[in-house]
Formats: sequence, structure tokens, C-alpha cells
Amino acid sequence: MGKFTKEMKWGLGILSLYVVWAVSWFFYRYTIKGTIFKPYVPELDMKLELALPFSKGLVLGADLLGRSLLEVLSAGLTYSLTLSMIVTIATASIGILMGYMAVKAPSWFKLVFDLLINLVFIFPSILIAIMIMAVTGQSMQGLIFAMIITGWPGYAKIARGESKRVLSLTYVEGARAIGIGEVRLFFTVIIPAILPVMIVNMVLGISGVIISEAALGFLGLGGSPYSWGAMLSAAKTVLLEAPHIAMILSLTMAGLIIGLNLLGDGLRDYLDPNKG
Amino acid sequence: MSRLLQKAIYAFVTIFVALTTIFFVIRMSPGDPVETVLGQKATQEEIQKLKTQLGLDLPMSSQYGNYLKGLTKGDLGKTIFGNKDVKELLKERMKPTIILASISVTLSAIVGIFLGIWAGYKKNKNFDKFSRLISLFALSFPIFSLAPLMVLLFSIKLNLLPVSEWGSLKHMILPIVTLMIPLGAIVMRVTRNKYLEEAHSQWVMVTRSKGLSDVAILLRVLKVCLPTILNVVSIQLSVVIAGTMITETIFDIPGMGSLLFDGIQNRDYPIVQGVIVYSTVSYMVIYFLIDYINEKLDPRTQS
Repeated sequence: MGKFTKEMKWGLGILSLYVVWAVSWFFYRYTIKGTIFKPYVPELDMKLELALPFSKGLVLGADLLGRSLLEVLSAGLTYSLTLSMIVTIATASIGILMGYMAVKAPSWFKLVFDLLINLVFIFPSILIAIMIMAVTGQSMQGLIFAMIITGWPGYAKIARGESKRVLSLTYVEGARAIGIGEVRLFFTVIIPAILPVMIVNMVLGISGVIISEAALGFLGLGGSPYSWGAMLSAAKTVLLEAPHIAMILSLTMAGLIIGLNLLGDGLRDYLDPNKG
Repeated sequence: MSRLLQKAIYAFVTIFVALTTIFFVIRMSPGDPVETVLGQKATQEEIQKLKTQLGLDLPMSSQYGNYLKGLTKGDLGKTIFGNKDVKELLKERMKPTIILASISVTLSAIVGIFLGIWAGYKKNKNFDKFSRLISLFALSFPIFSLAPLMVLLFSIKLNLLPVSEWGSLKHMILPIVTLMIPLGAIVMRVTRNKYLEEAHSQWVMVTRSKGLSDVAILLRVLKVCLPTILNVVSIQLSVVIAGTMITETIFDIPGMGSLLFDGIQNRDYPIVQGVIVYSTVSYMVIYFLIDYINEKLDPRTQS
């Protein structure tokens, strides 16, 4: 364990700003402007189309459908954050389980595992996602499914390496000697030992999911109209008339990704087992 | 020799599985290309006729058999929309993609390695700090958010470069730079870290105590770092492919990426299959090439 680096402090600072933003939007949406049963949705108002920032009572102006850009941006933020966290936790769990099984399982499983991992690695993940979205249709479930399919091999590879390392340590032998069962060994010995490394990768993975979700949204394959990618692709068409929309969107997204990357890198230095 | 054979078999199996998966997945997805081609007014008979003509009325297994038979002869079939030869179409569309991908990968590797070594050499000096900040920013603007900003700055505000389409050198600059930025940043990071790892190892100290010049030591360290860098580039290849696809759609470049995207949208099976065959095969070739170079550079990887 090292000490908190400057990187990590910056990352945590930036991320907490975003989290405060997301939470306040959440409250605004469910209590101030709407109710739990009837959440508030950003309103369309064609009279406000492409309003400039600080005009017509809107802080960031309006997008090309006349919705308040700040509200749409906030909706995109909560969508992006929740989706990426759900996907990352699901993907990492599957990855850890598969990676551990690849160490313990019979050799035929290892062969299939290698082939599966290589297939996913060889295909550009965006192609797999497009394919899956083509089959399941454009939906949130399809999107989550696609991201899990393309994401688990990365975690599985790391989990396999880490499990191998941990399984060769003496305290695992000790745990076995006092008669711990396989399932209990996995949950009480292996998981805590590999979790630090996995968490670092999950933090970096969240930013990866945000990017690929936005990329799919940009190509018109997103799961929600509030996907930042879909908004960017719309903003691209009015680049001449309203360049500020694309700029605000890009900068907001970049800020979030910078925060996650800083935190991930900082955590890696902080937890790096090699540095002792 | 047996190792080479093993790898070849592995590559063959991967390609085979890939194209089989694509074949069935794209056919299972909802949407009928024939109905789209003929429009809504088409009668049942017309649809049936075109399906027979294209061989799409056969059961899936015999369609698959025909497809494989065609593949062994190098025949990729004809497109459903426009009845063009897929091979000809791919040949035409491959050029921009290959130019775009190869130039941006080569350039970003050169720039990334150069800057990475420099940053490692000047560790914790101003250049190092500055370059780390730049690479952080470069990795945080995904291609699709970077591209509109670049267009805004260079095409609209400064009016230096064309916005889209393809043709002259001027058209290539923006897409190539857009693709280069994230890739170059990754290469730079990896090079810097690997350089620092090696530069403080014992063999470098030995060479230094033998009185070699800084430049000679730098070249030796670079040779040791190359396999790692190449590996990272090969892992990033799929990112490059995705990036090329997005770049092509943004800048309206008639390449493989936009072809594939349209093919999937229109359910034009032969096009999708053709692009997948070409891209997996070329991916495999590049993979082998990098593997081979790595072996030559670092004999330890052979065992």
C-alpha cells in the first residue's frame, strides 16, 4: 500500500462532482419536478430550438429538439453512470468466475475457454455489439447483453492470472489443511485476495463501458435517447449553427472519463502488489 | 515447425468459427433483405422469385454448404442490393480503409515511441509531466467526440481542411490525426513505462559502465522494449478497426467500415460475410507477423 497520490485525489474530486450532479438530478427528477410514479422528462419546446447558453432562461441553452441542454445532459449522465456500473459489476463477476474455473477445471474447459476468449478478442468488440443488437433489436437488454459478452474476457484473463498466483500461496494450502470446502475457499480466500486488482480494472472498465456505450449510441445503436453518443451524433449535424452543443457534450464526457482514469491509475499505484 | 503448424490450425479454426457464427447470426436477426429490396408493393410471387434466384429459399444448412463451396473457389457471392460482385466491391472499398489504418498506426507508433522514450528519459521533468497530462486528455476524448471538435476547429473556424469525403491528401489529414491521437497516447504510455522499467535494470548499468554512449544505450533499450510495444499495438488492433469504422462514418469515407455498417443495416448477408472474412484473415496475418517479429526480437518468447 502506498499513499494517496495527487492523481487519485484529483480523480476522486472530479468524480464526486459528477456524483453530486447525478444525485441532484435524481432528486430533481423524482421529487421537485416529478414524483416517484411520474418522473420528470425533459420537455420538448420547438420555440427554444438551438437556444444559446444563458438565453431564454436556460443555463446551457437548448438542443435541436428544444429540450434544455442541462436537463438532457443530466439525464445522459445518470443513464451513463447506472448502465456502466451495472454492466461492469456483471461483467467482472462473470469474468472472475470464468477465470477461476479456467484454472481449476479440466483441460477441455481450458481449451474452450481459450478459443472463446480469442474469438472475442479477435473480433472488434464494436462488431460483436452491432451483431448482437441486430439480433435482439435495439433495446437496453440487448445493449447490456452485448457489452457483457464483449467485456468478460478481459476480466477473465486477469482473474485467471491472479487466481493462479493466489492458489500457489501457502495460506491457501493452510486453508485447505484445516478442511475448507472448495466453495468456501473461493469466497473467503480467493475473492478477497484478487479483489484489489479486479477493482482497479473495474474502475478503468467503467470508463471503457461509458465510451463503448456512447460509440454505439453514436452509430445509432444506443439503448436510450439520452445516450451521450446519440446526442453527439445529433449535435454533429448542427455543428455549423450550434457548435457549443458538441463542445459541451464532449467536454462533459471527457471530464467524467478523466476522473475515472485518474482514479483507476491512482488506485493501481496505491494497491500495486509488485511494489510491495 | 510443429509449432507453426499448430498456430496455423488455430488460426484456421478461429477464422472458420468466426465466419460460421456470422453466417448464422446475421440470418437469425429480424428483417428480410429481399422484402426491403423489392419494397412494400411487391407481391408474394416476386419475393419468392428473387429468393429462389439468390438461393435464400433453401434451408439454412444447404445455404451454408453453398457458401462454403463458393468460398473454396474464392467466390464471395453477389450483393442482394444492386447485384454487384462482393469481391469487386471489397477491393474497391478496401483501399481507403487500408490507407487510413496503416498510416495512422505507423505514424502513431513512431510518434508514440519517440515521445514515450523522451518522456522516460526526462522522468519527472517538465516534459514528462506535460506529456502525461496530454496523454490523459488524449485517452479521455473518444474518437466520436474528438472528431466533431477537430472538424469545428480546423474546418469551420480556421477553414484549413475539408470537412468530409475522400480523395486528396488534404482529405486524409483529419481522419488520420483523429485516429492517431488515442493510439499514439497508448503507445507513448506503454513505451515510457517499459523504458523506465528497463533503464534501471542491471544490464543497462553494465553497458553504461563499459562506457557506451547514451545514444547506443538508448537504442539497446529500445530493442528490448519493442516486443512489449508491438504486443500492445496488436491488442489495440481491434480498437483501431472500431475506430476506423467510426471515423469512416463521421468523415463520409467510402471504406470497409461504412460498407459493413450499411451491410448490417440492410441485412445484405453477402457483404457482411465478405467483410468479416477479409477482416479476420487480415487480422490473423497481422497477428502472425507481429508474433514472428517478436520472436526475432526476443528469442525467449519461442519457448
